[in-house]
Amino acid sequence: MCSYVVSLLRPEIIRDLDLPRHGLEILPLDGTFTPMPSGDYLWRVNDHGKTHREIARHSRVDAEAYDEFGKAMQAMCRFVKPILSMVPPDPTTLDPRELMKLLFIGRRFQGMSSYDKYNQVQLMTMSAIDFLDQWFETDVLKATMSASGIIGTFLGVRSPGTAYVLLHHYMGEIDGAFRAWGFARGGTGAISNAIADAAREAGVEIRTKAGISQIIVKNVKAKGVVLSNGDEIYADVVSSSVDPRLTFTKFIEAQHLPGDFLEDVNRFKYRGSSGKVNMALDGLPNFKCMPGPGAHLRGAISISPSVEYMERAYDDAKYGNFSRHPYIDMVIPSLTDPSVAPPGKHVLSCFVQYAPYKLRPGLTWDDQKEAFGDTVVNTIAEYAPNIKDIILHRQVVTPLDLEREWGLSEGNIFQGELSLEQLFFLRPVPGWAQYRTPIKNLYMCGSATHPGGGIMGANGRLAALEILKDIKGAA
Amino acid sequence: MASQTRDIVIIGGGHNGLVTAFYLAKAGYKPLVLERSAQVGGAAVTDEFHPGFRCSTLAHTAGPILPSILRDLQLEKHGLRLITPDVCVTALSPDGRALSLYQDSDKSAQEIAAFSRKDAAKYPEFGQSLGKIAKVIGEALATTPPDIDHPSSGDLWSMLKTGRAIRKLGTKDMFRLLRWGPMAVADLASECFETELLRAVIAARGVFGTFLGPWSAGSALVLLIRAAGDPHPAGSAALAAGGMGAVTQAMASAAKAAGAEIRTGAEVIEIRVQNGAATGVLLSTGEEILAKAVISNADPKRTLLKLTDPTHLSPDFVQKLQHYRGNGTVAKVNLALSGLPKFTALKNGDTSPLKGRIHIGHEIDYLERAFDEAKYGNFSRQPYLEATIPSLTDPTLAPEGKHVMSIYMQYAPYKLKGDWEEQRNALGQTVVETLAQYAPNLPELLLTHQIITPLDLEEKYGLTGGQIFHGELALDQFFTMRPLLDWARYRTPIEKLYLCGSGTHPGAGLTGGSGANAAREILKELKK
Repeated sequence: MCSYVVSLLRPEIIRDLDLPRHGLEILPLDGTFTPMPSGDYLWRVNDHGKTHREIARHSRVDAEAYDEFGKAMQAMCRFVKPILSMVPPDPTTLDPRELMKLLFIGRRFQGMSSYDKYNQVQLMTMSAIDFLDQWFETDVLKATMSASGIIGTFLGVRSPGTAYVLLHHYMGEIDGAFRAWGFARGGTGAISNAIADAAREAGVEIRTKAGISQIIVKNVKAKGVVLSNGDEIYADVVSSSVDPRLTFTKFIEAQHLPGDFLEDVNRFKYRGSSGKVNMALDGLPNFKCMPGPGAHLRGAISISPSVEYMERAYDDAKYGNFSRHPYIDMVIPSLTDPSVAPPGKHVLSCFVQYAPYKLRPGLTWDDQKEAFGDTVVNTIAEYAPNIKDIILHRQVVTPLDLEREWGLSEGNIFQGELSLEQLFFLRPVPGWAQYRTPIKNLYMCGSATHPGGGIMGANGRLAALEILKDIKGAA
Repeated sequence: MASQTRDIVIIGGGHNGLVTAFYLAKAGYKPLVLERSAQVGGAAVTDEFHPGFRCSTLAHTAGPILPSILRDLQLEKHGLRLITPDVCVTALSPDGRALSLYQDSDKSAQEIAAFSRKDAAKYPEFGQSLGKIAKVIGEALATTPPDIDHPSSGDLWSMLKTGRAIRKLGTKDMFRLLRWGPMAVADLASECFETELLRAVIAARGVFGTFLGPWSAGSALVLLIRAAGDPHPAGSAALAAGGMGAVTQAMASAAKAAGAEIRTGAEVIEIRVQNGAATGVLLSTGEEILAKAVISNADPKRTLLKLTDPTHLSPDFVQKLQHYRGNGTVAKVNLALSGLPKFTALKNGDTSPLKGRIHIGHEIDYLERAFDEAKYGNFSRQPYLEATIPSLTDPTLAPEGKHVMSIYMQYAPYKLKGDWEEQRNALGQTVVETLAQYAPNLPELLLTHQIITPLDLEEKYGLTGGQIFHGELALDQFFTMRPLLDWARYRTPIEKLYLCGSGTHPGAGLTGGSGANAAREILKELKK
């Protein structure tokens, strides 16, 4: 209902958990279709030759650069991947083990060619558009590619730091193949179900409808949890996969935590910036620039017609409005997986940005919810006018809904913004990036920890490894 | 024309070129500085723009100048009189309130208390923390960035020293340094203070001269770099008697005294290269000057893509340099006034708060909206202004009772939708109208104005893209990456050709840091 595509799931996790055996089937998502107001379009697919010809239709130079770009990004991914799979070092201690980790990163950086180093440094610091400007001249290509640099952040495509998020998403790999996104058969819920099955088989007990109201802390040690029905469960280790705000300000009394730490927890930025609109359709949207059904509907459909369009969408959000002309990333999963809709009917899932959690004074999300839904429908209708006639039902998920119903503070889908000052050894709290907390036996394992959000699973794995280390050390 | 052979030729007599000339001369070389204009100074000059009215044409405050440079060049002995008013900056709000920040932290806190007691209590601690962090950065600014591929033992030593200085900060400030650098300055200011006017005046330091808004990530780094030379949270007001031209005049005098030769009205149009090494320069008069080394105070793009035939460079290098970002965002407007404007926010006719810098841009969102327009190629209709009235502290700049006002206007994008020539007057109009909101009688006092657009900055002052810092100050163009990764050590791919301008580390502002660093590196090479 919230997540809609999978890609960032780490291959080692798919492997270790043997998810295909537990019923996970990933259906490939082929390409990205970007309709343009001029009546033209940009349609990139997984077939290399076709994409090359399509981009060449817009610019020959860009078609050549596209291949080069892909190669350069792969080199970047190879550098960053091991860093995503490591526990962040603490740069402030002199502990040799921590220094070795820093050295490891330093050596890997040293090992790159000077061309790759140059790209890497730029990628870590530049804006998505500044970065893409160096490669491409076609506006629509840059706009649609830059979109992955802003997903889940409160930044615009021209904000420095977004080039990194671009890479973060570029790392999408399924079964080890770079840059391929997909659907899970039965929706992304199927992933969680498969993971749950794998966990149960390994000996995990799962209780649903068991909301937590408190973490029991005595003498700076976590002792267990209190459920919302009042039941108390005592445990040797408590690991929290919810964000730091809930963990440390809702479930734990302030007296148990150092003041500095709490200050940093409160400072951690969430700033949800996106919403979801899901629609049940009586047919397929008919795009003016490419009428009728076709393969272009089977991939992602991106409303990102120009760089200025993307940036203006951000400008609205900066001053507390949802974008009047938002960036929309749509998929129609019922085309690849007919099980999700009755015959002849379809499901349209739209990821929409920007929808700032904090609206300007005087506006509330409960009042704006339907207006937001209307804006999304109207925006799509500019490209596919029949959309208004085929909507059977519409579900609008605002950032406030994400917070209230899914427990995501401020509606941030990554449990905290992916901005440079909140990554790696600074995530979520400087000095507490190694999954431990100031409270003994209490750990963090959610997206708010390194390496951040997206359906990656890496956070949970790294946290588990650290917890095991502590348990073995104590034994 | 007859050619002559020189020791070292320095292209451009801006403040960094003059500082480099001084240090080389002091080491026993005979550098020749070639300046295109009739006077040295580059962007730090004072001109009479209206009979009897003199003003710092471009830069109107110093960075301030590094203490080591003040000392080594003995600038005061060479006639420089620095003016550092007690008041650093006065921020004006359209609701008729003003906030003055002083050199003295307690005095500033008292002023802030009128807005928020909480902020007043936090201000001294913020200043201290910023000061500590800035000091560490200051040490890094004074070093040559290390060679990333093959760090020498000297590089390792200076990295170790910087590392130790960082470690001494203690865990809390160490993490602050790591966290603050990549942040948006708006976040930094909002994290620390609740008063919007105070937030805005601090945030302005992070965006001045850059193509960034206060909400752009990385703008906090710009604040930290500037704080390294000037740890006052909102920046001080480093003025000079006679304007900024007096600073460069004193530098020129010091360089000459040390043995440098300076020729004005000498425009270099080409850097001669043979077998991958610079051999001299060609002047617009056709005169050729051969030299053992050529140092350029011009920006990196102008030096290597315009003055040098790019065929001497690898295509890869040329491409990277073309991508070096440097589209200016600042225009300058200088006003000759028949009297002192009356600012409504200043009660009881007290004019002392006007002696420092005057800041217009009362909210972070105001600054951000000003930036928004620039993104789409328009100049801000409600701009962020930084003004000084130097005739208040130095009456010799204007006839008795009259005044000059020097204003930086931001944002004025170099890449404008339309023509700068056609919009020049509209820009001047916007500045005057904006000021009139705070000083209603200003238009009546206006005798004349001088308007300098980003295009003028490029054409008349040789600043490529009109970028006053010789290239955007951003994370990806800083330290080991200024101007390019692997080329941050004042050398260029052409042997015997060096850079010493603001496009090299540390860049940014009238400090002389780049010139001093460059001189040190070049001397090392020359001694080989």
